[in-house]
Amino acid sequence: MTIVVARHEKISDRFYLVALAQGLVVTMKQMLRSLFGKGIVTIEYPEKRREYSQRFRGAHFISVDSKKTENCTACYLCQTVCPADCITIVAGERDAATSEYGVKKEKRPLSFDIDALRCCFCGFCEEACPKDAIKLSRSYEMATLTREEAQYDLKFLVREVKDRG
Amino acid sequence: MTAEAPAQPTITIDGRVVPFLPGDTIMKAAEKAALDGTIPRFCYHPGLPVAGTCRMCTVEVEKAPKLMTSCSTPCTDGMIVHTQSDKVKKSREGVMEFLLANHPLDCPVCDQAGECSLQNYNYEYGPRTSEFQEQKRTWSKSTTKKLSDKLTLNMNRCIHCERCVRFTDDVTKTHELTMLNRGWKKELVSAEDLGVVSEYQGNIADICPVGAITFNDFRFQKRVWFLKPRPTLCDGCSKGCAVWADEEKDTIYRYRARRNDEVNGHWICDSGRVSFHTYENPNRIVEPLLKVNNHLIATNWETLAPSFVKELQRAARIILVIGTDATLEEMKEILTLKSLVRNAVFDVRFYNGTSGVHTSADDKAIDDVLRRLDQTSNTKGAESLGLTPLSQNGQGSASSAYDLAIYFRGGRAGIPLKLATKEFGWGVFSKDEVQRFDGVLPGLATVEKSGSYINAAGNTQKFVAAVKAKGSSASVTRILEGLFVVARREADLGVN
Ligand code: SF4
Ligand code: SF4
Ligand code: SF4
Ligand code: SF4
Ligand code: FES
Repeated sequence: MTIVVARHEKISDRFYLVALAQGLVVTMKQMLRSLFGKGIVTIEYPEKRREYSQRFRGAHFISVDSKKTENCTACYLCQTVCPADCITIVAGERDAATSEYGVKKEKRPLSFDIDALRCCFCGFCEEACPKDAIKLSRSYEMATLTREEAQYDLKFLVREVKDRG
Repeated sequence: MTAEAPAQPTITIDGRVVPFLPGDTIMKAAEKAALDGTIPRFCYHPGLPVAGTCRMCTVEVEKAPKLMTSCSTPCTDGMIVHTQSDKVKKSREGVMEFLLANHPLDCPVCDQAGECSLQNYNYEYGPRTSEFQEQKRTWSKSTTKKLSDKLTLNMNRCIHCERCVRFTDDVTKTHELTMLNRGWKKELVSAEDLGVVSEYQGNIADICPVGAITFNDFRFQKRVWFLKPRPTLCDGCSKGCAVWADEEKDTIYRYRARRNDEVNGHWICDSGRVSFHTYENPNRIVEPLLKVNNHLIATNWETLAPSFVKELQRAARIILVIGTDATLEEMKEILTLKSLVRNAVFDVRFYNGTSGVHTSADDKAIDDVLRRLDQTSNTKGAESLGLTPLSQNGQGSASSAYDLAIYFRGGRAGIPLKLATKEFGWGVFSKDEVQRFDGVLPGLATVEKSGSYINAAGNTQKFVAAVKAKGSSASVTRILEGLFVVARREADLGVN
């Protein structure tokens, strides 16, 4: 069903040149300001990089313990909560008899894949994780040349990320 | 109340009048009236004797001084029961608090999470907080202890309901599990060093209300909330137990017992429980195969159908061997294959293939619980259709040298010894079973088709497909349709 809404435009609204001029004034003001004054909004990337807030949500990583073993216990909570359905985990068992952790950390991810192209960077996974394992780093340089490179696997995810990158 | 017939005694549960039979407990009466959802329980299980130990099921009975355990209190006429009164709720909260005092926060790694009574009841009845500040009790030696190669025990999670102990005592009567010590130190141990030995261990994992006992085959395989339960039948033996096939995206991850009081009660055996692996087997043939230059190669139906029809019409003596694991419907349908044959001898036999089982007369129970000797699901069905069995040793009769043999089966029946110069398999096979064949027509497994089986007791049991067919495997109906189309087309070409 179409809903017809009447618009009441004044004559001055219909005479678009006024609005055009107003817009130009704003543009010129900004241009002059960034050429001569303070308030330059662009930076010389990549020589200079922008500092984002600690809460910025960029490329995922999985935190590791002091022995460089992933903190993830393959609980699937992140996979469950992910609205983009881009996390795929396969769980497995560390043999408690031979593992240095004993029965601790017996459940572990055999594989952990994130399709970064599907991810919407909502951060729900980070929030759901009971182990503080999966996190979103501050790294925003996620462009890749191929689609495959945007499939993050466990090896990539446990990379060292200091201070959230 | 009418004066004539003696009125059936009734009790009132939460304002609803519920009839009961003499001897029924409050829980039983509530169950029959489908009111038992309002009564939480840990130790009570409808398939096991009543223990009355967990106190979770207490309800308020008017005129009774204390709360009563509904699982063990018999009904009396006119009893008035409240399952949701404040007193009851407070008691449940107390029970939960004590159970949780020592319970680990394992839910993220615990396979039971999502179908855990403790978790669910805590949402509904539990206290939100705990007063317990001491160290939790942990069992260093039985945190992950193999009770057998099928079961793993995590004693930290046990809530001492003793369902498992009663199961081994009353159902399998193998008495492997027992509780050692009392109170704080009460520990579940296997009575002998052997661990649990029965053939029904998976049920213990099913009935354990928490994640203390888990079934190794399913351990860590899937979080249960991803799974959808589909009702189906186990085709592991002639008992025909009812099962839930839990699947996600058409992959089955486990079987669980489905209650059917006429056949299997609450239980299934372990070999049945893992029998779905036959269908999830990565080596299963799911594309049509055809032998070319002595090599079986994967092909498509368009290629296979004409060569199969050609073989059918060229042969002078054909034998169709129907496995006793086919459904009744399939058996009837596949007999129409005869109309594709031109003036050839067309023999039909059924074949079981279980060692020692030739016809249903050889079938017998192999223990007191469920399992039967016949490892196929429908021997009685084949007999009900008046089919003749293949001779005892799986060989054709001496006189019959066949040109073409077709072995149709659902994945469980045996494959006879070579009966003919050309052999085709039809149905469910794995890679190593088909090497000697000249072609394979991939068919459907029990979980992928609808149909009916007649079990050892003579019950006809219907079932519907639980998952989609794998690969290009197709139903008998569709394959026959295709074959008839091909045959008609070739006949037309021949005439023109
Ligand atoms: S950030 Fe959101 S969309 Fe991306 S993986 Fe995590 S939960 Fe999924
Ligand atoms: S929520 Fe955390 S611990 Fe659980 S699977 Fe995801 S990363 Fe691993
Ligand atoms: S038994 Fe239940 S409550 Fe205990 S850890 Fe497992 S899921 Fe959680
Ligand atoms: S192991 Fe499970 S079934 Fe056995 S007593 Fe403990 S909680 Fe109950
Ligand atoms: S269920 Fe009644 S006491 Fe446990």
